[in-house]
Amino acid sequence: MIIAERRPIPEILENIAPYSRVLVLGCRGCVAVCSAGGDREVAILAEAIRLAREREGKPIEVIERTFMRQCDPEYLEPLNELLPQVEAIVSLACGVGVNLIADLYPSARVYPGVDTSFYGANVALGKWVEKCRGCGDCIIDKTAGLCPIARCAKNLLNGPCGGSQGGRCEVRKDMPCVWHMIIERLKERGELERLLEITPPKDWRPAGGDGLRIRVRPDLA
Amino acid sequence: MGEGIKLAILCCNYTNLAEREDLYEVPARLEIKRFPCGGHIEITDILRAFREGAEGVCVCACEQGTCHNGKGNERAEKKVVGARAILQEIGISPEWLSFYYVPRLDAEAFVEDVKAFFSKVLKEKVEERGK
Ligand code: SF4
Ligand code: SF4
Repeated sequence: MIIAERRPIPEILENIAPYSRVLVLGCRGCVAVCSAGGDREVAILAEAIRLAREREGKPIEVIERTFMRQCDPEYLEPLNELLPQVEAIVSLACGVGVNLIADLYPSARVYPGVDTSFYGANVALGKWVEKCRGCGDCIIDKTAGLCPIARCAKNLLNGPCGGSQGGRCEVRKDMPCVWHMIIERLKERGELERLLEITPPKDWRPAGGDGLRIRVRPDLA
Repeated sequence: MGEGIKLAILCCNYTNLAEREDLYEVPARLEIKRFPCGGHIEITDILRAFREGAEGVCVCACEQGTCHNGKGNERAEKKVVGARAILQEIGISPEWLSFYYVPRLDAEAFVEDVKAFFSKVLKEKVEERGK
């Protein structure tokens, strides 16, 4: 899922400083699952904004809503009714949601309430770790399902580098060396010879190097 | 100088049965808010208590290993950590918010913790005034 983290509250407060009626808008998609932008986080941020503004002597009215998704135009439709009631929106969706609101509702002043961080997995309660970087041309069929683009600090396609020590990454000791893991895994499966083939330099265009990425499924479009 | 201070105490219903009378020695305006379990106390409840005028907020939950619902008390402690971070971000000293594990049904221990918290808030207030 997409992992996000609430932006520092002072930055959010600065964004909405001129306004006295705002909407804090959550999303029940990824950001709710990673506890950054669901109903609960909307309530917390809204209360923090009210408290901060009251202390400043500039009380503010904060409306709280959470949509099923913010990355789908149909789920954004209730904004037609909400927009006339507020001067600005703080969206706790990932950047996709904020962008789509900005695209479809040009008059809405929409501010991001979270930093959109990475694609990751929930490995333990309250902990998320990056697993994929959305490179658009997946190579993990050759690396035992473990992604060296996201999980190797040098994004090596033919690893490990000379710095891999005792299974740890030389760049960050708290990080396992994913190339060490790949080699161990393939060795166990008796498939190490798969790595004899040198992977050529990657074409980064599908990763975004060629501008906006668009997916069309002709049978649906 | 404490009389004008308003303190909010957010606690699990089972943590204590102490009432305002038991806390007569604490010269502050006290508001006791009871929850069905410490695990029900949300960050928003803590922030709201501040917004409703409390200068200090004290969260009390049952001692470790004694929560009816398993880990409600530990959850309460974590919520306090989260709320303190938010207070800090919006420029309110996290020292105005405290957490105590309190023995179940022992009103005396609870009263002692509230007293300790009151002294802390008072000290913080004096220091803030001195600034
Ligand atoms: S190779 Fe690309 S698509 Fe595949 S897991 Fe890694 S970053 Fe994601
Ligand atoms: S030690 Fe391993 S994970 Fe770290 S940069 Fe080298 S190959 Fe990549």
